[in-house]
Amino acid sequence: MKRIEVRLSLGVVAPLLDVIKAAGDSLDDELAAPVALERIDKDLRSEWRDELIAAQNGDVRNLLALFDSEFFASGVVNFDEDNADAILRSCAAVRLRLRERYLSTFSDEVLETGEVALEEMPESDRRFFMCYLFLATVQELVIEHLEPSLSDE
Amino acid sequence: MTINETQTVPAPTIEAETAESLVGPWKVVVLNDPVNLMSYVVLVFRKVFGFDENRARKHMLEVHEDGRSIVWCGLREKAEHFAFILHQWHLTAVLERNETD
Repeated sequence: MKRIEVRLSLGVVAPLLDVIKAAGDSLDDELAAPVALERIDKDLRSEWRDELIAAQNGDVRNLLALFDSEFFASGVVNFDEDNADAILRSCAAVRLRLRERYLSTFSDEVLETGEVALEEMPESDRRFFMCYLFLATVQELVIEHLEPSLSDE
Repeated sequence: MTINETQTVPAPTIEAETAESLVGPWKVVVLNDPVNLMSYVVLVFRKVFGFDENRARKHMLEVHEDGRSIVWCGLREKAEHFAFILHQWHLTAVLERNETD
């Protein structure tokens, strides 16, 4: 099994974990992108909702499990083929939630490019924004290192 | 941030089947969202539909630039299946009746 080990800066990442945890908890009984489901017809929507939430919760648990005692001791997190998909999806879910709840004042363009004067940003916004970028970086790492075989087909 | 890779073994199985169809009574349409990364959307299309890199990228760019892309057409039951999986991946997917059929 292919596996990557990533050493993170504890000083940078640890302060973001409260944000990730809070956003993850807020997804406990809500979909990260409820508006997306509203475009699906009513019967299907109610049929899918519980199943989607259960899957989303499982994915978020995988993300939170990365930051265990080993991470706090060494700064290391491990990704492998078993948790890659769940990590990718949970990062998407938490990013969607952060965007909706805490970063709605930023334009799409700013969030896409990440070109923001961090030093001018209020401390509270800065943590959400850093978290948003951090989770995108995690996704990019997983895609680059665990999914390269897809590009060989 | 430092990265160590270990133990490379056979490529992971792609969990999806190849989905070539763009004709049929129901369309699966993916709509743009400002959050998901382009590389993520390409990956999802590859995993869910078995698209090759070029085709997945073409659909991703349609979503990004035109706001929507028809990624599959066919029977309703299968279209629902694909739409559901896309929702699991947090993409905005809708079902539309294919008026040309």
